[in-house]
Amino acid sequence: MSGIATAVDITLNSLVLGGVFLIVAVGLNIIYGLSRVMNLAHGSLYAIGAYTGYTIVSLGVNFFVALLLAPIIVGIIGLIIERIVIAPMRKRSMIYTLILTYGLMFFLDGLIKYVWGNEPRFVAIPAFMRETISIFGTHYPVFRLTTLVTTAAVMIGLMLFLNKTRIGMILKAASTIPEMVSCLGFNMNYIHIGAFILGCALAGVAGIVAGPLTTIDPLMGHEMLISSFVVIVIGGLGSLRGAVFAALLIGLVQTLAEFFITDLAMVIVYMMMAVILAFMPRGLFGEGKFE
Amino acid sequence: MKKLLVVTISMFSMFFAVLMVVAQPAAAVEPVKIGVLVPLTGIVAQGGLEMKYGIEMAAEEKGKVLGRPIELLVEDTQIKPPIAVTKAEKLVYKDGCIALIGVFSSGVGLAIAANIDKLNVPFLTTHVMTTEFYNLHPLVFRSGQLANDQTAVGNVKGILSQPELKNRTYYVIVHDYAWGHDGGERFIALAKQNGIKIYNESYDKAPTSTKDWSSYISKIKASGADGVYMVLITNVIPVFAKQAADFGLQAKGVKFVSGAAPGPVELEAGGEACYGIFSASDWSWDVNNPISDKWEKAFFAKYKTIPSDAAVHSYVGAMNLFNAIDKAGSTDPKAIAAALKGISFEGPYGTVRISAKDNCMRNDAVWTETVAAPENPFGAKVSMKVLKTFKAAELGPPE
Amino acid sequence: MSGSPSMPDSHTSLSPLKLIGLVVLFIALALLPFVWGNRFYISLITEIMIYGLLAMSLDVLLGYTGLLSFMHNAYLGIGAYVVGLFLIHVSPTSLWLACLVGVVFTGLVALPVGWIQVRTGGLAFALLTLAFGMMFYTIVWKWYGLTGGDDGLMGVPSPDIQLFGWSVGNTGNPAHMYLLTLFVVAIALILTRRIISSPFGAVLEAIRENEERAAFVGINVRRYKLFGWMLACVLAGTAGALYILCKGYIGPVTMSAFAGAGVLMMVLLGGLGTLWGPIVGAGIFIYIQDYISTMTEHWEIFLGIVVIFLVLFMPTGFVGLGNFFKRLRKD
Repeated sequence: MSGIATAVDITLNSLVLGGVFLIVAVGLNIIYGLSRVMNLAHGSLYAIGAYTGYTIVSLGVNFFVALLLAPIIVGIIGLIIERIVIAPMRKRSMIYTLILTYGLMFFLDGLIKYVWGNEPRFVAIPAFMRETISIFGTHYPVFRLTTLVTTAAVMIGLMLFLNKTRIGMILKAASTIPEMVSCLGFNMNYIHIGAFILGCALAGVAGIVAGPLTTIDPLMGHEMLISSFVVIVIGGLGSLRGAVFAALLIGLVQTLAEFFITDLAMVIVYMMMAVILAFMPRGLFGEGKFE
Repeated sequence: MKKLLVVTISMFSMFFAVLMVVAQPAAAVEPVKIGVLVPLTGIVAQGGLEMKYGIEMAAEEKGKVLGRPIELLVEDTQIKPPIAVTKAEKLVYKDGCIALIGVFSSGVGLAIAANIDKLNVPFLTTHVMTTEFYNLHPLVFRSGQLANDQTAVGNVKGILSQPELKNRTYYVIVHDYAWGHDGGERFIALAKQNGIKIYNESYDKAPTSTKDWSSYISKIKASGADGVYMVLITNVIPVFAKQAADFGLQAKGVKFVSGAAPGPVELEAGGEACYGIFSASDWSWDVNNPISDKWEKAFFAKYKTIPSDAAVHSYVGAMNLFNAIDKAGSTDPKAIAAALKGISFEGPYGTVRISAKDNCMRNDAVWTETVAAPENPFGAKVSMKVLKTFKAAELGPPE
Repeated sequence: MSGSPSMPDSHTSLSPLKLIGLVVLFIALALLPFVWGNRFYISLITEIMIYGLLAMSLDVLLGYTGLLSFMHNAYLGIGAYVVGLFLIHVSPTSLWLACLVGVVFTGLVALPVGWIQVRTGGLAFALLTLAFGMMFYTIVWKWYGLTGGDDGLMGVPSPDIQLFGWSVGNTGNPAHMYLLTLFVVAIALILTRRIISSPFGAVLEAIRENEERAAFVGINVRRYKLFGWMLACVLAGTAGALYILCKGYIGPVTMSAFAGAGVLMMVLLGGLGTLWGPIVGAGIFIYIQDYISTMTEHWEIFLGIVVIFLVLFMPTGFVGLGNFFKRLRKD
């Protein structure tokens, strides 16, 4: 295999990986940006998205229908979580919210194991996506390319939603000056709920997209959670363009490290994070928001 | 007042704690307690469950040892060595178990073996594959899955016997821990002696938590190797195989040889992507002999799970242990250990004998390929077809 | 680490009655292994005390400085690995030197990490502890040649416990190890209490209550946060030294995020900002974990529910339960 083909392989792999990181991290960022809740159960919601997709597909429903349904279901689960445990915490210190969502993570992980068991699961994808196509001499799976298109579409859709629709603009404004939006007569409570549902639904999208790429298992959310933390901390908490850049950067670094040095791939990623934060504590664009 | 309440509450909780410990039902005849350590949560939970089934089946069949009923006390190791050691201490010091059996991973096995002087009970593993278990400790035994060296011998002999596998270059990828390293190194050393080409002698070590294998698969594609030797935890085999199939690796004619035989439940999960994986194993349900046929039917009827090699060698290991206790005539650890040396059991895959020389078992094995399953009572769609049988002496190590 | 005698005047804030109570409790605990010889329970109580020390160190950070560390167990792990490696490779008999090296090394590792962490603010601090914790976990897990990777560090020798040239016992003996742990944990508790009730502790609490106001009165917030962090990490390293001596084994699992959550749970169970509460919390947690995980493989669900319940209804832990009842009676 030629060098170009390998380079294409690596580039596409890193884009696919970075794309999934991005959707998870953006969901986390939106919830944080709007309601100042750092949801540590986000990785578990991502796993639930993947499992829901698996169940829907294995019932014989078309994969694309599952792609729509799974995020909706995860969004509903998000609504339930928000109402029962997150909303009562709104007035309390952020540390308690963090610990609460940590507990929620264990609860959801346990629930996943209880419902779907320990064994890894595979999502059946439509036949045409199981093919490979030739790009610059490498055979690349069609499904991975579909994933790339899906993540790009979700991100573009999200940008349009935030910048072109009225609701989106209110949300954006609420993330910068919540007091003002509140004064204008918008119910901040609905904004919090909306942000949480949107964030969870994004985790669901990432789950169903990533499920068939790899495999689904109860612990899939843990590493994703850590990786998306690295993404949002490097990108700056609450910064959208920071997250985009950081996700693609981490995707690339991790893929390159796994290809060339294998052994210390993840250490490299964490080291990079440490170095960036030592010099840029507010993230790459200095846009990080802290309490 | 507050202090008083705190003190009252803590007194009550301590009282109940003591109550829970002390209040254990007294049995009419004191049973012989055996501690079973298997992972029931975590990445290899399925394998642990199958081991537990195998050991339970042996206890039920054996019924009594030393004229007393067998009582199995099962603890979840969570495949975490410190937890496993705590559980082992609980089983021995608190519950009074006279022997420990089971253990899935090499790390857990070695951690328990390191504490065996303190625990002072015989410990027989039915699944640990590391070669460090040979002659490890007078109280530590293995009667179960083929060890890494035996598997490597089986796989190399198997590859040489198969013209389509013989002249390939193998890319070696292992899971990054003791068992994976050991398995990879054993195979590479033996393959080189036998003229089998290895692409990467400093083999790839993938973290056990790897979900996305695309980088490794890209490396295999870039290397141009036409064979892959993998030493991966068995339930990852279908994951790897499936992702490799997504990238069209198998379609391009790359063949897979595995350092650990995949379990039937895992093969079902992987489906078609799992066809064409070669491996040496002590048993698969494709083995045909009266004992094996009877055993697999009984197992399936009882547990509704397709019988796996993990279940069968745990069954055999437990039988060896129970028979040794009977032979020892007492629950004295040294007497049981002496009885375990050289003991053998005639089971579904022939005679399994624990060597008196190094405390590890010798048995016949098979060379298998995963294929679309023939008509079978288990409803399995993938099966490990037996291509060749090895005699125990062929696999070594010499005694 | 050497057994410096405890200062009686450090109890100035305690009433004589309480002081007598504590001394009686200590003597009772010290006599326990001579009365009740079950090795399993002696080992279990030793483990509870070690984790109690770790939980107490997290309480210094969380309860007094208001900083959250998700993976404080990482510093227990570093301490334990260093002590273990020292005993294996350098000197198998120098107990105190090994412990000193372990604790100092833990501090040296914690310093740059803390320096980066305190620059980023409260929430990012918490997220960074997770990321750095994962980094240490990955390093320990990957550095096969040194740490034994996933299999852990095995074959750590049990040195004799020597005090002023007099051999007191051996760490391999559960009863001796129990007594050593009891003494070290008691000394650590007394010292920490003294530090916390000094002006330094008051500054930490001021930062916890209102960081901006503390900065306005001229406190170097970052520096004090770093001090709080270092104190917590050094105590965690001490717990690590005891851990390896007690278990004779350490693996990366002890440094995992899951184990880190357990430590957090101990602090919550016992109650924040009390120092001794987390030690009680460690006891409750280890006991519950031992029993629930024996009873069901779905114990994560219960663990999660317990945490959610604690945060929602009992944020002050079991210690705070007393206050709750008190309020109830007044109503």
